[in-house]
Amino acid sequence: MNDALDVAVRLVVVFVVFLVLPLVVGQTEHKVMAHMQGRLGPMYAGGFHGWAQLVADGVKFAQKEDIVPAAADRRIFQLAPAVALLPYLLVLVVIPIGPSEGAVGQVVDAGIFFVLAVMGVGVLGSLMAGWASANKFSLLGGLRTAAQLLAYELPMLLAAASVAMAAGTVSLPGILNAFHWWWLPWQIVGALVFFVAGLAELQRPPFDMPVADSEIIFGAYTEYTGLRFALFLLAEYAGIVVLCGLTTVLFLGGWHGPWGADGLGWVWTLLKTAVLAFVVIWLRVSYPRLREDQLQKLAWTTLIPLALAQIALTGIVKVAIS
Amino acid sequence: MSESLPPTRPRIPGSGLAKGLAVTLRTMTKKTVTAQYPDVQPELPPRSRGVIGLFEENCTVCMLCARECPDWCIYIDSHKETVPAAVEGGRERSRNVLDRFAIDFSLCMYCGICIEVCPFDALFWSPEFEYAETDIHELTHERDKLREWMWTVPAPPALDPGAEEPKEVAAARKAADKLAAAQAAEAAEAAAAQQAAAEQAAAQADQAAGPAEAAGPSEGAAPSNPTGPTGPTGPTGPTGPSDPTPNSGPEGGQS
Amino acid sequence: MSATLAQAALTAPQGFLSPNGVEIAFLLVGIATLGAAVMTVTTRQLVHAALWLVVALGGLAVEYLLLTAEFIAWVQVLIYVGSIVVLLLFGLMLTKAPIGRSPDADSGNRWVALAVAVAAAGTLVWVVVDAFRTSWIDLDGPAQGSTKVSGEILFRHWVLPFEALSVLLLAALVGAIVLSRKSAPDDAPGDAPAAAPRETESR
Repeated sequence: MNDALDVAVRLVVVFVVFLVLPLVVGQTEHKVMAHMQGRLGPMYAGGFHGWAQLVADGVKFAQKEDIVPAAADRRIFQLAPAVALLPYLLVLVVIPIGPSEGAVGQVVDAGIFFVLAVMGVGVLGSLMAGWASANKFSLLGGLRTAAQLLAYELPMLLAAASVAMAAGTVSLPGILNAFHWWWLPWQIVGALVFFVAGLAELQRPPFDMPVADSEIIFGAYTEYTGLRFALFLLAEYAGIVVLCGLTTVLFLGGWHGPWGADGLGWVWTLLKTAVLAFVVIWLRVSYPRLREDQLQKLAWTTLIPLALAQIALTGIVKVAIS
Repeated sequence: MSESLPPTRPRIPGSGLAKGLAVTLRTMTKKTVTAQYPDVQPELPPRSRGVIGLFEENCTVCMLCARECPDWCIYIDSHKETVPAAVEGGRERSRNVLDRFAIDFSLCMYCGICIEVCPFDALFWSPEFEYAETDIHELTHERDKLREWMWTVPAPPALDPGAEEPKEVAAARKAADKLAAAQAAEAAEAAAAQQAAAEQAAAQADQAAGPAEAAGPSEGAAPSNPTGPTGPTGPTGPTGPSDPTPNSGPEGGQS
Repeated sequence: MSATLAQAALTAPQGFLSPNGVEIAFLLVGIATLGAAVMTVTTRQLVHAALWLVVALGGLAVEYLLLTAEFIAWVQVLIYVGSIVVLLLFGLMLTKAPIGRSPDADSGNRWVALAVAVAAAGTLVWVVVDAFRTSWIDLDGPAQGSTKVSGEILFRHWVLPFEALSVLLLAALVGAIVLSRKSAPDDAPGDAPAAAPRETESR
């Protein structure tokens, strides 16, 4: 009984975090992007500086008619948003935010592999949407998504493997327990590769070729409206939360901090995640979109060699230490 | 382009990326430029062209504005009235009475030519701009509405420092100067006449004085006069007397 | 299917009539996986086949999980669902797989295929049953398929096959590169000018 209650509470907490944090990131994006462009951003919804803008958006999406194009593959079209969104919920379960045993939804032995595998499944949603929409722009978006995923999955995996090598474990809490501050300079290249590849996997600008609105409208999501479209958007922001949380856990030491690591570890995790989310938004505002060939070139000629070099460095240092 | 740069200064890889980030970050810390219009009224510059107001009393129905309007958006109707003679036995005068004055702001292109050409200052720019309508016919503002706009016409803004003096002020000043000069000349003449009369009286009293003596004092009296008129006319006083009086006629008409 | 039967065979001596929760789950997932696999080969819609394949592979991953082989399960998802199927879908979209039934997705040698499939399944089941006839996996004790155990088994006992496999894969990779690079100038002399700028660009 107690166990069931414990599990239920954990799941509820994770679910609430899953619903709230992406909205917070989305709202922050509204505001930060606006101010970086010399604007104010939303100011009306909710009264104070438009804090409830995304709630209003959600209500708007819920009121819209759910349209499935006549020529679309109905079932796959309707299933795609769920496939895109659910994996991020699953990933959130295993990200530890504090040092204690209770600060993680569920300890998974092969945490890194779980996270990367499930995140890879999420992209399947975009592919399904792209194909099932019966729209050439959607199809192009799906193709680009697939090409991008194939290119960026590898450097991401290699960078994560470097950390796993350093820690000697593939469990996320285990990696955090093994973390020392000097891992930061040691794994910095891997961190950059991981973060950039993660951005590309989320199709965030400047890697938003699959949804490039000036070329292919909205890529795989062109035909979507209403709640299903909102789910895709939510998946994108949940993806940002997950990517930033993962980068924090793997490379920035998660709950480790200069002080207060015992009681306030979760604050450090959230703080680092928030800073990374800000960087994600910052990059979106600052850089133009990469062309398709530039995308592939970056992955295959820059990120993968860098990740391999990081693994080599990790191996050398690891052997030198032991 | 990148090939021409290296000789001038070595480029650090990624410096361009960093510069991009710096620009956005700097912009974020600066004040935003968003105009929160319905909540905060915009601060319009002086002489903003919002809407045209009509000061009916000044209008003589000369139709210049309607004729000069490039898109013919001013409608004027009028009739003539006969005004009885002001004095007994005088001539009856006819007068134009304005029946309708309307500006169609759906056609108006805000060129301001009507205001420029109005010889009697009956039309004015007002900075009011919130008169959008849901029906295009409502945009034809009739006389009473144009009169309402008149109350929103601001006082003319102050001149820029070092700006040319407005024509009206220059003309008014010239007229005032002329008047002062004329008064001064009159006063001087009167004084001279007085003196001359006094001298004449003295000469008559003398009896023995010759005609040469009489001319001398009258000439000597003129230079002594300026000290008297300078009081009321101020610094322009000295130039006043030097103005030849015949010129005042045409200049007065010019102003 | 083979795994299901093997498991069913294994449970028999330990108490076939009172299966515990994990065993029931294993059986149900196995049936679902089998169903998805059948759908994969029988559906006439190409992309549906790929997506049924996702379900089948995912079901297999769940089976691994139930057998406490966590690492294998996640690698299964990562490699097969995350990469292989994505590649498949990429290919299908690139060739503009139609929505709805593809008339040419129906093979003429259905019965031959069925016979081969049944024979292969029979062989596999027989091999597995024969190999694990007497062994019993204790699911309650320390995980026997954890990352640590898998790693030790892989790099201590089976390191030679592992390395041989990686050399084989490397050879395949190199071969693929060689084939793709050689074909360009061989094709036709007219292709050479078109291929040359692309090569310089990729560098």
